[in-house]
Amino acid sequence: MKKILTGNEAIARGAYEAGCTIAAAYPGTPSTEILENMAKYQEIYTEWSTNEKVAVELACGASIGGARTLAAMKHVGLNVAADPLFTIAYEGVNGGLVIVTADDPGMHSSQNEQDNRRYAPFAKVAMIEPADSQECKDFMKHAFEVSEIFDTPVLFRLTTRVCHSKGLVELGERTEVGVKDYQKDIKKYVMIPAHSRVRHYQVEERLNRLREYSNNCPLNRIEWGDKKIGIVTSGISYSHAKEVFGDSVSYLKIGFSFPLPDKMIKKFAKAVDKLYVIEENEPYLEDFIRTLGIECLGKEYIPCCEELSPEIIRKAFLPEKDKKVYDSEIKAPSRPPVLCPGCPHRGIYYAVSKYKDVVAVGDIGCYTLGMMPPLSVTDIVICMGAGISASLGFKRASMKGGRDEKIFGFIGDSTFFHSGITGLIDAVYNKTPAVFVILDNSITAMTGHQENPGTGKTLMGEAAPVIDIESIVKAVGIKAEDIRVVDPYNLEMTQAAVKDAHEAQEPFVIITKQPCALIKEVQKKRANIYCSINEEKCTKCKACIKTGCPAIAFKNGQIVIDRSMCNGCTLCAQVCKFDAVEKVGE
Amino acid sequence: MFQEPINIVITGVGGQGNVLAAQVIAVSAVEAGYLVSSGETSGLAQRGGPVMTHVRVFCRQNYGPLVPHGRATVVIGFEPLETMRVLFDYGNRGTVVISNDRPSYPLGCLQCEDSYPEVSLIKDGIKNMVQQSFFIPASELAAQAGTSLAANMVMTGCLAGTGLLPFGKEFFRSTIDKLFPNKLKELNLKAFELGFDQVFQQVV
Repeated sequence: MKKILTGNEAIARGAYEAGCTIAAAYPGTPSTEILENMAKYQEIYTEWSTNEKVAVELACGASIGGARTLAAMKHVGLNVAADPLFTIAYEGVNGGLVIVTADDPGMHSSQNEQDNRRYAPFAKVAMIEPADSQECKDFMKHAFEVSEIFDTPVLFRLTTRVCHSKGLVELGERTEVGVKDYQKDIKKYVMIPAHSRVRHYQVEERLNRLREYSNNCPLNRIEWGDKKIGIVTSGISYSHAKEVFGDSVSYLKIGFSFPLPDKMIKKFAKAVDKLYVIEENEPYLEDFIRTLGIECLGKEYIPCCEELSPEIIRKAFLPEKDKKVYDSEIKAPSRPPVLCPGCPHRGIYYAVSKYKDVVAVGDIGCYTLGMMPPLSVTDIVICMGAGISASLGFKRASMKGGRDEKIFGFIGDSTFFHSGITGLIDAVYNKTPAVFVILDNSITAMTGHQENPGTGKTLMGEAAPVIDIESIVKAVGIKAEDIRVVDPYNLEMTQAAVKDAHEAQEPFVIITKQPCALIKEVQKKRANIYCSINEEKCTKCKACIKTGCPAIAFKNGQIVIDRSMCNGCTLCAQVCKFDAVEKVGE
Repeated sequence: MFQEPINIVITGVGGQGNVLAAQVIAVSAVEAGYLVSSGETSGLAQRGGPVMTHVRVFCRQNYGPLVPHGRATVVIGFEPLETMRVLFDYGNRGTVVISNDRPSYPLGCLQCEDSYPEVSLIKDGIKNMVQQSFFIPASELAAQAGTSLAANMVMTGCLAGTGLLPFGKEFFRSTIDKLFPNKLKELNLKAFELGFDQVFQQVV
């Protein structure tokens, strides 16, 4: 049977067919839907782990325990999980272990454009790279086999375009492989120096065997066409190259991309007149090919920045005179993302925006948008957890520099569980007088509403204990008088908390509690609530506009609120000094 | 025989049902015996940013998920400004344009920091760019069918009405019937038919 599947759906299907029994992940675009789809198979235990390190460590344990296991994350998630990755590489596996990294060339929704292919040689683990949905499914089955045969974790490398593109996939049946027995073997599974030294030799020896395999592996294939030009490529770059060159050239299409097939590459290079290397981001293939002493054309033609596309390849290798198709007088205004109407983050950002001496460190989530005008609060964003930890360092620099800025660190609920707690403990332990705002909207919102330890539900849909953020904050030692729990829809309450925080001389925490406005039940509950402008009272001072709510517009000399967008959060009503905004419905 | 691949670029802003429309088109094509590949660029779409989806229909050889610049057979825009934006990159003289005529204003325009071009200017601009264009009151037609949220199916109906695809509307109807939950089937089929008639009447 054939079905249209996204790459992510196909990976879930492939793992299912391969007999995978355990899967863990932390949500992150473009990888999120892998676990969401795996959760549909009852044969597999799936979970949202608190972070990627936990997911990979859990996967290591599950693999040693004998289960075919998958862990999935976005590219930056693998940085968080790098610690277990490098050591499980020494220990090897029992049940097959596949670690999926979904890179984001073009940074559609990421903070950097790192090319995680580099992780495979760094950690010395096998790597597999599919180009389309069918390959996602087929290669996943292959990955589990390679993992068990060669006793290695397998890095399964995707990119946004592969994850989110759809293609026809031939489905197969699940092969039930069960869970292998566990045999105690401390020389393999306890990495103390004496054991690790021995294992390192085995890892090097494993790489030799894997290299031999790579040269004969069906995942690496040559498509002979005209031999004037030969193209070495992998992943989505293969499909872009095909789009441009069609069948007029020869291809070496790499699917098993670490260790690379040295003999195959040499043979291919010898047979063609000119060798092109077409790859996205880093010169991963090109660097290796050059170490073989082979000349090729690569990154001097194809930029390492941004997502690759057929037109970039065409421009690089088949340049035509720039023919501009259109000329138009019309200037299209940009359409940046914004906090949604009724977003509970708006109230707290609005309150903080009134203090000009605040330096705000943000984190990864919808609330990163707190940097956008007109609120323009956030100054610094680095990575998950840094909303708290980077605040600590900035505060120290500020103090050393004799400046009197107030530091506010912002972090979400899921992100707080992910890696915010350790930073908060640091703040208490080292007595760093900064303010930490935990924006609890009861969901992992940015990636499309996943459950987390605070939501009371697991990925598999079971009820779960709700981990209470306030209790954690208290438990790590923030004094009760330095904690405010506020409803961010209540501006007065929120402003009072921000004022106290601003005056505080020791670590201070504000927790804002209000569920994401896009949660279905919230939308249903608030469907008939909205705000409207009383035109007689409105002085057109535009105070409401300055909240940055996209439901409010200044049109034809009037302030108007789009009823279909408004959810009646009433922030605009609360900032209006003339009582000109009225709430309708309950 | 048609010239393959048929390159469909669908554009709009988050929440307009762009991805679902692409899904209906892709599944219909497969049901009719064709091959498809499809890709989306959404990123931060849920927060009001633009969303673009590509669907490519073919039958002889495989094509990747991205329509190359300048190669769109048809651009379906759920929002006039986004239609124009996408047309600059993906259109050519022969591209057929189907656009909803109702703007969705970016925040900068709502706050008068930036200005949204007059819709009539956008229309004229697009008419000058391509040979065939249809401007559809898709949101109103969808409201007639039951909810303005069904504008995506109106637009899908418009595409079927152009006759650009090598298969008939029955494949769309059966796909809508299959993909939508029971209580939404009739409404979406009606929206689809309203869109179909709008364009079909102009084409024949």
